[in-house]
Amino acid sequence: MSKKNKSKGSEQTAAVQATEEEVKAAPVEDDFDLLDFDDDPLGATGVSRKSLVIFFLIDTSGSMKGTKMGELNTVMEELIPEIRRVGEADTEVKIAVLTFSTDVKWMYSEPIAIEDFEWARLSASGVTSMGLAFKELSARMSRNSFLNSPSLSFAPVIFLMTDGYPSDDYKEGLKALSSNSWYKFGLKAALGIGNEANDDMLAEFTGTKDTVVHAYSGNQLAQMIKIVAVTASQIGSKSMTLSEENESELSEEDVYAAKQKMLGQQIQELVKQDDSNDVSFDTGW
Amino acid sequence: MTELQIGQEVELEYGGKAVVSGVIGSGGQGTVYLVDYNGMSWALKWYDIKKIKDPKAFKNNIKQNITDGAPSNKFLWPRYLTKETEDGTFGYLMELKPESFDSFVDILNTYKLKVDPLTGRATKAPVRFTNLSAMVTAVINIVNAFRQLHRAGKSYQDLNDGGFFINVDTGAVLVCDCDNIAPDGSNFGIGGKPGYMAPEIVRGIAKPDVQTDKYSLAVVLFKLLFRGDPMEGKKVIKDVCLTEASELKHYGSDALFVYDPNDDSNRPVRGIHDNVIKFWKIYPDYIKDAFVKSFTEGLHDPNKRVIENEWQKLFIRLRSEIISCPCGRTNFTSMFEMQDDVTYRCPKCGTTFATLGFSNLEYRLPLYIGSKFYECEIDPNSDDFLSVAGELVENKLKPGVLGIKNISEKTWRAKMPDGMHYNVEPGKGCPIWKGLEIDFGSVVATI
Repeated sequence: MSKKNKSKGSEQTAAVQATEEEVKAAPVEDDFDLLDFDDDPLGATGVSRKSLVIFFLIDTSGSMKGTKMGELNTVMEELIPEIRRVGEADTEVKIAVLTFSTDVKWMYSEPIAIEDFEWARLSASGVTSMGLAFKELSARMSRNSFLNSPSLSFAPVIFLMTDGYPSDDYKEGLKALSSNSWYKFGLKAALGIGNEANDDMLAEFTGTKDTVVHAYSGNQLAQMIKIVAVTASQIGSKSMTLSEENESELSEEDVYAAKQKMLGQQIQELVKQDDSNDVSFDTGW
Repeated sequence: MTELQIGQEVELEYGGKAVVSGVIGSGGQGTVYLVDYNGMSWALKWYDIKKIKDPKAFKNNIKQNITDGAPSNKFLWPRYLTKETEDGTFGYLMELKPESFDSFVDILNTYKLKVDPLTGRATKAPVRFTNLSAMVTAVINIVNAFRQLHRAGKSYQDLNDGGFFINVDTGAVLVCDCDNIAPDGSNFGIGGKPGYMAPEIVRGIAKPDVQTDKYSLAVVLFKLLFRGDPMEGKKVIKDVCLTEASELKHYGSDALFVYDPNDDSNRPVRGIHDNVIKFWKIYPDYIKDAFVKSFTEGLHDPNKRVIENEWQKLFIRLRSEIISCPCGRTNFTSMFEMQDDVTYRCPKCGTTFATLGFSNLEYRLPLYIGSKFYECEIDPNSDDFLSVAGELVENKLKPGVLGIKNISEKTWRAKMPDGMHYNVEPGKGCPIWKGLEIDFGSVVATI
């Protein structure tokens, strides 16, 4: 890999760094009174966990109405306990759901811890303002908004599901998103539902075709959502094992976007195993 | 086909079938199922062989471990291999973890989740050590388990918070996930868990072995005692988002201990690492020094890492330096004042504690009702840190008179105020007085 890439990598790292004021280390205390603090040696709070926010961007435009929406609601209800199981116990997993049709709307006003998350069933109507959704996501993916955990965070998982082509200028929204460091480092995946959804357009969002999957039937929809969401939360909620198959010292570029690559590989493997011949979503109505 | 279904039968290598009855959990290499075999419940680890580099060598290693047997009863060791399925998938049976044990992760989180199987809703139940002695005993047990394993010439390889179950009432420990254990120097593909891996593994320049186990062990001990990550401080938090590159940096070549005495740029941060800040004030210097050594000199020089035997001695001392004051305060002697060289005083209520000094130990045992010493403390050749040898009790017939009860199997000789020496048989005791001498054989204790 070229030198240019390396410098690009560190620039991106710098973009998500906190300022000096945000991080105040504990002052060094040499002398202290034996009784001036809670000295119970068994009185500990939980070890500070790394946090992971999983963003679901869900198309709730009119074309999703009916079986697709019903199916999606049911799958998502089932999915929450499953993600809770796969998430590493030392990571605090939170969920945020952004729906887009004519307008964009968050299911809850902030990301909710997976233990407490309850799926609110969605309904569909309106057009597909995906560009607007990208802009809204970009605004919220910030230290001052949804990603405000004081402790360390893993890069977020962002999972887009749609059954159609954007009705607005999605490129403009994507441009806004592209300048967001959390998006750059995030694990991005997309699910196209039915014949109208365009995989090339979705790959523009994910940055790679490997994390774009497609569902043409109800069965497939359930399977794909589970494959993508479970795999992404598994990979997203834990640190990368960096050492595999190496003989020499790893450099920053060796590990750049390693998680996104791993997600792509695993999704492709699972999707291959999962070829079913159900009746298409868009036919036989 | 890697997943098993409930009700599915799995054939074992030496005959018989295990029937899957539930899922226990899944990890990086496969899934653990609950199975019935010969009328008993067992845990079945079932591999996703795609995630294993060389399944054949991996399986042979497990087979060898089964033949060798566990180093001690602290291990949930592989017991029976299954037959391979057509695509080469296999697994092994191990004993189930008893109900009374909690996972190390739950202890670190201070709670466990109980999920209602019908609604999927989760509730939190607190998990914490019943008393300080149980906690330090758990630490000694962990150290001892790895000492036993390393003495058997094997390394654990993948030492992390998912590898233990602990009984929070007694400090008993069970080491699980024993399938990557291999003869020192061999590796069957596992790297380890980030945060626990030695920096040289993170950097890609070494494979897991006994020396890297020592680093991971120090991390596990630090997490249990200080309830935080030894390398996560101000410097790491500045990155906000833990990307692959920042992990490589902060846990590899640029790893820096939060309390490195020569570099304060990675100190714990208030509001995030409050546990570490608090406990660094509580633990005595000899414990902190051992961690400083492990995480500074030992960080990049594996030969400088603290060995298990050394940890074991330090924690046996720590357990003996617990004072339970009648005012309700229980803490290490480091958190009590010294009235004079041989007397501790509670800073809260002023109660004083005489101490018993042992001829072979550099520390003194504070005396209060319930204080104990162990076989390993009165016999230099003993490694038995679980059997209580003596305990300070109140005489049942003479209330208010305190004495040391002989709980060991040997007869002691005690010097009484009349200057004479008397036998103290097992089950008997002797009153404590200023000038008491107890001869245990090769060790003498004096007040």
